[in-house]
Amino acid sequence: MGERKVTVAAEVGLHARPAATFVQRAKQAPMEITVAKPNGEGPVNGKSILAVMALDVRQGETVVISAEGEGSEEVLDELAAIAAAP
Amino acid sequence: MTTVLAPVEGAAVGLAAVPDPVFSAGMVGPGTAIDPLRGPGEAVAPIAGKIMKLHPHAYVIVGDDGRGVLVHLGIDTVQLKGEGFRLLAAEGDRVRAGQPVVAWDPAAVEAGGRSPVCPVVALDAVSESLTGVAEGAVHVGDELFRWE
Repeated sequence: MGERKVTVAAEVGLHARPAATFVQRAKQAPMEITVAKPNGEGPVNGKSILAVMALDVRQGETVVISAEGEGSEEVLDELAAIAAAP
Repeated sequence: MTTVLAPVEGAAVGLAAVPDPVFSAGMVGPGTAIDPLRGPGEAVAPIAGKIMKLHPHAYVIVGDDGRGVLVHLGIDTVQLKGEGFRLLAAEGDRVRAGQPVVAWDPAAVEAGGRSPVCPVVALDAVSESLTGVAEGAVHVGDELFRWE
């Protein structure tokens, strides 16, 4: 299972535009994508905007994005970049 | 089936009319938008359920069936940091459809140089699942669309 641990930099956290951008990219991936907080919250479905919003990731918090299968490393790199974007 | 009510009074104009690609391109989900009547008013819950997320400028209500509806009060209104908005409920509250959630004034938002248009979005829905989408004048609590 591939993982990326990233700190969310956007002022609004992983909500609104960052959340929509993240989920839109995740939905294009063929494999399952999950997002969790290191404290044990989640993992939630990274393709669900409701689930990602409900995880309530604030600015400065860390998330772990997971995926496995062919092409997952590339998908994880892109998702990590979206989540870490200011 | 979920019946989604108009959270504000105004004109249903469709998401394509929203001056923010995150909504107009349907990235958040399908739905519509209401160009609100200018003047002080109360934005209400579009469905019955629990307030999963409550910001002064936006809120998400999740029904007992797990479906979530987002109401966004104006565009880029996160920048107002709550100024001009008053919460009438709290995050985690259970609300009935039509219950007031936030008091605000679309005219004040517009005077500040922002669009007061309100996207109402069915989260995680596909556009084909929405029917009976209202167009034109809507009152608070009118049926806005059905989510099959």
